[in-house]
Amino acid sequence: MSGGAFLRPKHIGARVKRVEDPRLLTGQGQFTDDRIVPGALHVAFRRSDHAHARIAGIGTAAAASLPGVAAVYTAADLEVAPVRATSRMRNYHATAIHPLARDTVRYVGEPVVAVLAENRYIAEDALELVEIAYEPLAPVTDPEGAARGDAPLLHEEAGTNVLAQREFSQGDAEVEMAAAPVRVGGRFRFYRKTPLAIENRACLAEWDRGRRSLTLTTTTQVPGIIRDLLADLLDMPGHGIRVVAPDVGGGFGGKASLYPEEVLIAVLARKLGRAVRWTGDRLEDLTSTSQGFDEIVDAELGLDAEGRILALTAEVVGDVGAYSIYPWTAALEPVQVISFLPGPYRVPAYRGHVRAVATNKAPTGPYRGVGRPVSTFVMERLVDMAARRLGVDPAELRRRNLVREDEFPYRVASGIVWDSSAFGETLDSACTAIGYDTLREEQAKARIAGRLYGIGIATYAELTGIGSRISAAPGMPINTGTETASIRLDSTGAVTASFGVASHGQGLETTLAQVIADELGARLDGILIVQGDSAAVAHGTGTYASRSAVLAGGAATQASRLLKERIVRAASYLLEAAVEDIDAADGRVFVSGTDRSLSFREVAKAVYSEMGRLPPEVREELEVAKIYDPVFGTTSSATHIAVLEVDPKTYKVTIRRYVVAEDCGRVINPMIVDGQVHGGVAQGIGAALCEEVVYDDMGQLLTASLADYVIPAAGGVPSIETIHLDTESPSTLGGFRGMGEGGTIGAPAAIANALADALAPPGVEIFELPMTPERLFRAIETAKAKGA
Amino acid sequence: MSNPRVISTVVNGVQYERPVEPRLLLSDFLRQTLGLTGTHVGCEHGVCGACTVLIDGHSARACLFFAVQADGSRIETVEGLGDVDNLSPLQEAFREHHALQCGFCTPGMLMTCVDLLRKYPLASDAEIRDGLSGNLCRCTGYDHIVRAVRAMAAKR
Amino acid sequence: MKPAAFEYLRPASIAEAVAQLGEFGGDAKILAGGQSLVPLLNFRIVRPSVLIDINRLAELDFVEEDGGGLRIGALTRHYTLETSPLVRERFPVLSAAMAHVAHIAIRNRGTIGGSLSHADPAAELPMLALLLDAEIRMLSAGGWRCHKAEGFFRGPLTTALGEDELVTEIFLPALPPRAGWGFEEFALRSGDFAFAAVVAILTAANGKIGEARVAVMGVDETPLRLRAVEQSLAGQRFTAKLVGAAARQAHANVQPFSDLRASADYRRHLVAVLTERALRAAWARAA
Repeated sequence: MSGGAFLRPKHIGARVKRVEDPRLLTGQGQFTDDRIVPGALHVAFRRSDHAHARIAGIGTAAAASLPGVAAVYTAADLEVAPVRATSRMRNYHATAIHPLARDTVRYVGEPVVAVLAENRYIAEDALELVEIAYEPLAPVTDPEGAARGDAPLLHEEAGTNVLAQREFSQGDAEVEMAAAPVRVGGRFRFYRKTPLAIENRACLAEWDRGRRSLTLTTTTQVPGIIRDLLADLLDMPGHGIRVVAPDVGGGFGGKASLYPEEVLIAVLARKLGRAVRWTGDRLEDLTSTSQGFDEIVDAELGLDAEGRILALTAEVVGDVGAYSIYPWTAALEPVQVISFLPGPYRVPAYRGHVRAVATNKAPTGPYRGVGRPVSTFVMERLVDMAARRLGVDPAELRRRNLVREDEFPYRVASGIVWDSSAFGETLDSACTAIGYDTLREEQAKARIAGRLYGIGIATYAELTGIGSRISAAPGMPINTGTETASIRLDSTGAVTASFGVASHGQGLETTLAQVIADELGARLDGILIVQGDSAAVAHGTGTYASRSAVLAGGAATQASRLLKERIVRAASYLLEAAVEDIDAADGRVFVSGTDRSLSFREVAKAVYSEMGRLPPEVREELEVAKIYDPVFGTTSSATHIAVLEVDPKTYKVTIRRYVVAEDCGRVINPMIVDGQVHGGVAQGIGAALCEEVVYDDMGQLLTASLADYVIPAAGGVPSIETIHLDTESPSTLGGFRGMGEGGTIGAPAAIANALADALAPPGVEIFELPMTPERLFRAIETAKAKGA
Repeated sequence: MSNPRVISTVVNGVQYERPVEPRLLLSDFLRQTLGLTGTHVGCEHGVCGACTVLIDGHSARACLFFAVQADGSRIETVEGLGDVDNLSPLQEAFREHHALQCGFCTPGMLMTCVDLLRKYPLASDAEIRDGLSGNLCRCTGYDHIVRAVRAMAAKR
Repeated sequence: MKPAAFEYLRPASIAEAVAQLGEFGGDAKILAGGQSLVPLLNFRIVRPSVLIDINRLAELDFVEEDGGGLRIGALTRHYTLETSPLVRERFPVLSAAMAHVAHIAIRNRGTIGGSLSHADPAAELPMLALLLDAEIRMLSAGGWRCHKAEGFFRGPLTTALGEDELVTEIFLPALPPRAGWGFEEFALRSGDFAFAAVVAILTAANGKIGEARVAVMGVDETPLRLRAVEQSLAGQRFTAKLVGAAARQAHANVQPFSDLRASADYRRHLVAVLTERALRAAWARAA
């Protein structure tokens, strides 16, 4: 390998302005609905308004005859196999997902009829003329009730509503718990959320009649997954289907699964031989985009008299909605609640058991943090409850139990291994940054003045950049553990790097270029990142699970190094110098200690366009594709500290300060890292204080507009101070760690603990989120009545 | 198209005459009829702010305004602020402070900022946050946007 | 979410608008700011066959002195009220309240006539109209009519306005001199529909409360004047005990509803808290 010794990286770690910004700032982005296709048919869906019902009959004649309507489809008109998310997990039941409901509807918002028309206005007019006769079935909305043997079944073939069950254990937790001098516990409830990207889901399928090929432009985080599935479903070769995720307006996991609309649009485009498109509206987003964070956790923590953890037990019920989503399965989130519950702590004895239960609600899927926001909420509450019981400061209690540096690699009871991460340092760093001791003094003064002032800590750990040995669900139909980088220098000397990732706000076009600029020696502005396109590489999945910096960054590093070697070898011939004396930077190759150099452009011309310049035996392809597999992935961790006040009369919550100290590995672009933290924390604050998807007992969605599903606005998110502990991961190429989800993982717990701390004087415990003003009112009134 | 009315409107300084159905929303007129897809649609009930444009110089939701109403009016959208080779100072400030991630809320956010910077002193971050309260962003957590606006307010 | 089709009329004069209203009556909706109406159209919750766009009626957009009070045209935008020096001088409570109405983009289009006609139980302007003893002037083909704010708001989204009537202007009678005001609102986010709001006006007379006005919104089907509370306050010395009693009285005098956001109990609780705060603020400004 050529001498990297005399070049220090200068793009990795730098606050480089984003490549994406000029087009996004000027309205020149290309979001899915922006793509103009004259003559495309617009789809509107008649969606179920019953949570559970048999479809007795559908009348489409009136709708079909409305001027401007091209066609109306029901499940009966389509011949396409249902999609099932398969897995080798024991006690798992896949469910059949049809593009349009067949025989039975299982949640309000499930698509039943598709109308195709000249424009969306006419399509919606036609929807009103569709007649559907339903035979209502008993809706199942309580997951604990749904899990009982006598509950109405959502899926006959499964024979149960418990779609998945899993247990992790180590030691004999029940025995250890019974003997523990200190025990704290309770029933924790995290209520349902929706990712709510500002761009609603949309897709556009174009069929090329001449080439018999399909291009699906869709607001997806996972173009590769969609392409591979459609190839099966449509019985077409992969090169005949191209799935493009253009500019995508946020995803957060809600766009990381396959959706029935995508299958339908693709099938219809091929069937009709023309372009078919659907742009969902906000009502459709609220009713049918995958939801998350809906768990009931009965948990208990046992400690000794010095506050060292002895045992942890948890019984979890995850409400996963009506279907097991593709490809992740319904087990995705619930299982992660129990696999990550022990957190960054030393937990000698553990038993975590989870059931993923189907109900007549929208299916759940990945949402930023996937299970870890819930597990962190529970564990961090337990730790604070234990601290209060023991009369120990919560930061100190954590210090006594956090896995220490000399204990890495540390195997968690669930089998997850923390390779190495700065758990304790994040805690210390956050405490220092926020002036923890001073805050406690301020709190004491505030309490005397009758103010409800709270400080909440949350320390968490997660696994990011996971490789092929860690699977979200064993035997699930996709491979999340590898990423490909295909990098080439073209005949003009420009660098094009293609990946299977799909950026939707994280700035991958910039960060990956930063990695390549340093590793290849190219100019930053001479690099084009191609991604969000199933045609870009042979296999790809997309961007989710905090993987892209690690996997794509690792693959980019590997491919760049190899390509650089080839460029240097060509340059060595052209410059008549030894390979060891040549390096590359800023788009030039140069002989050290001399002023002899060539631009990449000149090298490319020589290699590609000047016939005979290089002898055939010397000429190498200036194109390298590498697959990177981190195998296990790496640990990321952080400590969040929130300071808030609750108005003692109105119970309005104001967050005064918020600090995040994170171990996010080698930082590629600190500006982008900050942005990810801020955005995640904002979603976490929403999860803790105001966001909740509410269904009534009949499975009707009550939060059906943005006035009812409330996300934080600018006034509800404080300035967030971030500290990056730039500790390179020992486990990943490049030392990167994933950090896209940390904000939502730590924030709900930090806010919950801060609320519990603020409300300790009136004796209020926090067991559920969101703690809306109404819930705070109830909790405080109840506590006052008890105290009175 | 039923009951089309011909409207005459100026968008980003360019005059357009088009037949429109009365119920056509301004957001759809801009995007579909004129091909100006910079204005984005997020909710169609006036809450998210992604569709914010300037109508006769004042910020307004394009999803709550009919194209027919734009007859005789002056509309300004994000496309009129600057272009990729020549960003406006506000757009530069957004870039400098990383005030956008996915970019979907950004056009509406920018047009709101144009109006806020003209009308309000924005003397404190609290005031800036209040002014931005009608533009929802799910990516940034708002802090970087506030910094960009603070920088612009200071330069006025 | 696209609206159903409608016929669109854009009258060039008030007379024309009123004639059109008379012709189409219950099948028509007035389009003024559109900030409340168009979402309902987009959701297809309302489906008028005719929309009468009155935005060309510039003669309805004005703020004028009338004695010590103000006459405000129905088409006056919220932003105009927010920034009008006349409003700030004569009705500072109105200026202050306008800053809480939704967000700048909504305030640029929304109108006072629209807000009062729409009568959302959690909208500020109907509550302020009650507080300020506004008189609402309406026109139909049959002529002019005036209605006091008291009794104008009949229920959620329901007013005394006839199907063929157009609100043309609002008269705000002069406030007593040195009237102090307090405006207190509780919303989850800035600009959201409030869970509850209380607005108060107190005058000072010889160290005691002279006149007292208290209005609330968000805690009943319509905004309310709390007359009983006002009577308890008038002529009394302003003390913590008095204010506490007034808050408890307000608590007892409202019949809030429970909804997704807040229970009746919580709303009642908020009314008590906000009444106390509004009264303290009003007294501080009066003295």
